[in-house]
Amino acid sequence: MLKYVAKRLGQSALILLLGSVLIFVLVINSGDPLEDLRESQDPNRENRIAQRTLAMGLDKPWFVRYANWFSGVAKCVIGQCDLGTNREGQAVTALVASAAGSTLRLVTLATLLAIVVGVTLGIITAVRQYSGFDYAMTFMAFVFFSLPVFWFAVLLKHYAAIQFNDWIPDAHFSPTTIIVAGIVAAVILVAALGGSWKRRLITFLVTFGIVSGVLAYFDAVTWFRRPAVGLPVYILATIGAAVLVIILTSGFQNPRVRNAVGATALVSIVGFVVMRPMLMAPREDPATFSGATWMLLGCFAFAIVAAVVAGQLLGGFSRRQATLASVVLALISSVLAFADLMLSNWSQYIAVISRPIPTIAAETPNFQSTYWNHMIDTATHLILPTMALMVISIASYIRYTRASMLEVLRQDYIRTARAKGISERKVITRHALRNALIPLATIVAFDFAGLIGGAVITEQVFGWKGMGDLFQTGLRAVDPIPVMGFFLVAGGAAVTMNLIADLVYAVLDPRIAG
Amino acid sequence: MKLKGTASLALLLSGALLLGACTSDGEPASSGSAGGSTGASAGASTSAEPTQSDDPCLQKLGIDAAKDGEVRYTAGEPDWSGYNSMTSDTYSTYNSVIAAMMASGFTYFGTDGSLCEDKDFGTVEVQSEDPLIVKYTISDAAVWSDGTPITINDYLLDWVAQNPEFLVPGYANGTNQDAQPIFQHVSSSLAEKVPDGPQGEPGSKSFTIEYANPDPDFMINVTSALPSHVVAKKSGLEPDALAQAILDKDTETIKKAADFWNKGWIFNPGQLPADLNDTPSSGPYMLKAGGWKAGTSLTLTQNDKYWGEPPATKEMTFRFLADAGQAQALQNGDVQVISPQATVDTVPQLQGMGDSVKVAQYSVLTWEHLDFNHRAGNVMSDLKVREAFAYCVPRQQIVDSLIKPINPDTVVMNAREVFPFQTEKYDEVVGAAYDGRYDQVDLEKSKALLADAGVATPVKVRIGYRSGNQRRQETVALIKASCDQAGFDIVDANSNSFFEKELPDGEVEVGLFAWAGSGQVTSGQNIYATNKPQNYGKYTNEKVDAAWNTLVATLDENVHLEQTKVIEKELWDTLFGLPLFAHPGVTGYDAKLQNVRPTATQSQISWNAFQWVAAS
Repeated sequence: MLKYVAKRLGQSALILLLGSVLIFVLVINSGDPLEDLRESQDPNRENRIAQRTLAMGLDKPWFVRYANWFSGVAKCVIGQCDLGTNREGQAVTALVASAAGSTLRLVTLATLLAIVVGVTLGIITAVRQYSGFDYAMTFMAFVFFSLPVFWFAVLLKHYAAIQFNDWIPDAHFSPTTIIVAGIVAAVILVAALGGSWKRRLITFLVTFGIVSGVLAYFDAVTWFRRPAVGLPVYILATIGAAVLVIILTSGFQNPRVRNAVGATALVSIVGFVVMRPMLMAPREDPATFSGATWMLLGCFAFAIVAAVVAGQLLGGFSRRQATLASVVLALISSVLAFADLMLSNWSQYIAVISRPIPTIAAETPNFQSTYWNHMIDTATHLILPTMALMVISIASYIRYTRASMLEVLRQDYIRTARAKGISERKVITRHALRNALIPLATIVAFDFAGLIGGAVITEQVFGWKGMGDLFQTGLRAVDPIPVMGFFLVAGGAAVTMNLIADLVYAVLDPRIAG
Repeated sequence: MKLKGTASLALLLSGALLLGACTSDGEPASSGSAGGSTGASAGASTSAEPTQSDDPCLQKLGIDAAKDGEVRYTAGEPDWSGYNSMTSDTYSTYNSVIAAMMASGFTYFGTDGSLCEDKDFGTVEVQSEDPLIVKYTISDAAVWSDGTPITINDYLLDWVAQNPEFLVPGYANGTNQDAQPIFQHVSSSLAEKVPDGPQGEPGSKSFTIEYANPDPDFMINVTSALPSHVVAKKSGLEPDALAQAILDKDTETIKKAADFWNKGWIFNPGQLPADLNDTPSSGPYMLKAGGWKAGTSLTLTQNDKYWGEPPATKEMTFRFLADAGQAQALQNGDVQVISPQATVDTVPQLQGMGDSVKVAQYSVLTWEHLDFNHRAGNVMSDLKVREAFAYCVPRQQIVDSLIKPINPDTVVMNAREVFPFQTEKYDEVVGAAYDGRYDQVDLEKSKALLADAGVATPVKVRIGYRSGNQRRQETVALIKASCDQAGFDIVDANSNSFFEKELPDGEVEVGLFAWAGSGQVTSGQNIYATNKPQNYGKYTNEKVDAAWNTLVATLDENVHLEQTKVIEKELWDTLFGLPLFAHPGVTGYDAKLQNVRPTATQSQISWNAFQWVAAS
């Protein structure tokens, strides 16, 4: 194993080296770095051309310029990385650090959400193969696949930002909107749940009733201007989530899992009731912000630890399953709690920022407000680019998961399991799903590596200054140094992620090990 | 089971809605403008728009205090890269617009490219014309935002930073190609023109400058300067000692200051210096602590020590935003003023935004032209062929179909040294130089001239331009449609290396490109006089050379005008090339914002940004 890792590392280093030479040569031949000066009539024109030639080494052959860059990078071995300076004389090391941070913030959430949503939808489409839902999802997946990001981004900005911001001062739904939204939601749910005609009809009517009822209620109280989940809703939602988790894992017949999940739910509810006033406390001073963040993370960690303890103590012989179920519930209840905190502060936020959804950037400049307003500010800036990034990844996750799941469901051992009389839920969740997820490990790794380097267009249209922007600006200026900085990080991430995927694969799939 | 699940979910939800009063407390305040930008008005508001004046210079608003809030503007995507925008690394439009908000000087360009004086800052007085000696007096009220007076010291450093002869021999005058500059200053023209630098007492408010040769553009040579006291302090020197060293040409002492001048004012992204007195301002705005978010925005705040009229709005935020996202950001209120690339797509997009956005369409000081290759052996060295070509180029059609959709006021440009929007001067020059003979396409005349020239038709004409410019591609297509009928064979010779290779090497018959005007009187000499560096077509004409020599040797504006007429007439009669049009510019801005005033110059729409203010 160690030999294998060493061999792979060696290969990766070689690939990176050759790739860097290739990219360097391509970039310096991609255009004219003096173009902007050639049409200038300024008296200092000649002087500027001479100075830029000197600074960028334009009079030197490519290998000398490459060697200059490489000698700086080689110092990384002794911990003194020098990635050179860009055309403006800024240190690329600092540029890369700031760009990588910004990109990570952007892609982490998008990737996680895309995985969760995409895998879930993929499983449902596989289980309900050739149903209306399956066809609809397949259709949507292909639409999203072929959707140009910049165009989707323009649509998002128009409807989800400009139109939404125009709408939010009133926050009223028209009766037509309410009815249409209800029908759409009901149709989707009917297609996903399936069943006999009678059941479909009931599902339709119930969903329609709930959705349009909720929207009518939201409209009546202008909920979108002052939303909140509130403790009662939080408690009910957590109980609902607990029920769902139990159904999906062991069913109610297994008292150990049931008890563990129940205990976790209780701890979550009591914990949140106790902590909510402290978490909600208004904090204006930026110095206290990190304390608040630690408190949030602490609560989250506590919930997870409590879930693990509950699973271990109450799980008995289904310890593993009980722990897993409890942790999943703890995650869900934490997300719910976080959503409650965010929503409860929303009215404060739009009191300060009257057009809440921005089309650009990662934060409101010079925004000085409470801790939660800053949190919401980050979220409102993240929402559009995250959606744009997600849509495309989701499409691929749906397709991959569906294909992988269908293949597993056709395996002999699944037939055996069914023949033994195991319930369909258990067949899918315990026998099929796990094995279906193995090939996804590779795709997730690829996807994450790709997103770090590949959010070029998304970053540009949303005005995020991340890795994609670094690459693009460098390329436009025919300045190889920032592009090489980008290449080191993006290429390094791709190589590392591939290595990790291969190693994880060996662990997950016993057939490959050895 | 499933039904039970759905039902219980429904029960849960509806119960929850009933139980919890499902909204949080606190009815939000009524909506103001985005970003909390408009607070209570502190100062007198400006109801009239004094900027609609014909006077190209700044108009005072008559305000005595800045209004709370901010104005948000984007000049483009590149991040701010440092306080010193005069180094060869940092000199760019994007840095200059920001630097302009934090600086004031003796002169600036008005909206049509004419020169204006800032009397609040100081006065300029010509003491002698031959030799040219100019006296500068800085206002006693003029101080940096840290309280230090603005003095000759700053201008001494401004001069020495351009690497004069005593510091780097052979550099400024270009006699030593291998000379390495000590200061990485983007320019060396002042050092070249003024061998001995500003003269006066260190720390005093007035100084004189003596030119080696008369320079008609002397007014723009000395404008604003960087704070020398900061450079001195950071380099371990006394401010007056540094000034004295420059007066004494003490090379060793001066060299100590170079390191900070070159690097000390360039910052890593988002990291302003801990002490903002290291980056003082002499303009209406100054840097704001914590106001730089790398790649996102830079906020400037009012400079309380500014002695002139205070900015109309307390803060100004520059957002760094690519063209693609600007229009929607404007519509959403994320920015209030944008000047995107003026294309046939941007104008309707901005106009489609309704009453909340105003659109300004105007011309800028950049002009498109077709230049002939006058080298011997090239077919265009024959005047008759050039004339035949000029008769078939559909200049009016090019303007009508490519430019008028962006700026309906655009006309065919019939001069090179003056622009159509500089109405009075333009009419006079064009009236004297050009009789309108190429206004209409005349294919018959074109054919006759070609026959007369005795060249075999079709005459192959390569029109070269830099690849990737759609407007130029369409221009060539229009020329081809017309000129091919007259006996030419027009070839679209676009190339990526047009400026490095085809144009300077004379590998095209006609070059299609633009010159960005600098507002100077003398810059055209580099293009039209014999053997000058920007005379790519190797044009040579004794009358033109002589007229330029007369023009650059005097400060008399009447002589400038007369000689310009002579030059333009010669350039038309011998057909140096064909001017086409002034480039269009477009600005979209929040309709609530007052005093947004387009300018043709390279100082961008934000040239008077300190006057922008939201209507109350």
